[in-house]
Amino acid sequence: MSTEEEKAFFDKHVRRFVYDYAMNEGLPPKVEQAASGLRTTAADVEASFQRLADAYILVLQKASREILMANPFSAVPTPFLVRAGDQTYYGNCIWDAMGIPPMLNKDARIETSCGCCRTAMELTIEKDELAEATGLVHFAIPAARWWDDIVFN
Amino acid sequence: MLLFRDEEHIEKWCKDWKLPRGATLTLNQSWRLANAWYGPDRRESEWKRKTVDEAEALFAELGLTSPFWKLRLRHPFYSPL
Repeated sequence: MSTEEEKAFFDKHVRRFVYDYAMNEGLPPKVEQAASGLRTTAADVEASFQRLADAYILVLQKASREILMANPFSAVPTPFLVRAGDQTYYGNCIWDAMGIPPMLNKDARIETSCGCCRTAMELTIEKDELAEATGLVHFAIPAARWWDDIVFN
Repeated sequence: MLLFRDEEHIEKWCKDWKLPRGATLTLNQSWRLANAWYGPDRRESEWKRKTVDEAEALFAELGLTSPFWKLRLRHPFYSPL
């Protein structure tokens, strides 16, 4: 793979694989899983993950360079658990957790807690509608600075 | 982005984290934002990240028009941790 065009073409396949995998398995794939699934080398997948991260499509774990976030999915447990069908997912934040049901096109229940006092809170999505619930969503960081520290955000 | 029980809990969280108050959305606004942001299928070859103009237009559709939602603005009042 040498030309930019070839890399862009490959990256689209990787993006599709990552999201297919996350939607089916609940978590984004590791490098080895993506390499096996795409019948390519780990080095090619690592390079693609990095390009997708440079394009703000993935967020990688700093040490391992494995996926941390394929928004809205988190590769690690978070306080934003989403149950849909027989599968569970972790959102990176409440916005992402609310984005998982429309991405899956499925009914879902979001199990989370108050950011302040950790009281359990639940949101239910049925037939593309958010069921009545109480709560407010707070965005702490101005939109222009979301990517300054996406993990805190 | 976190979910809170009410305004009082947002205020306490901001105080505890020594952060200025950010932007507060109703659940309905958040749901509409999540739908619009994550509805387009990211597996499709044609999918692209929203441009700054597209993202700001979406925020505006949801009534999010304050400087907080302007993607080209720097925010000197905000200091990251």
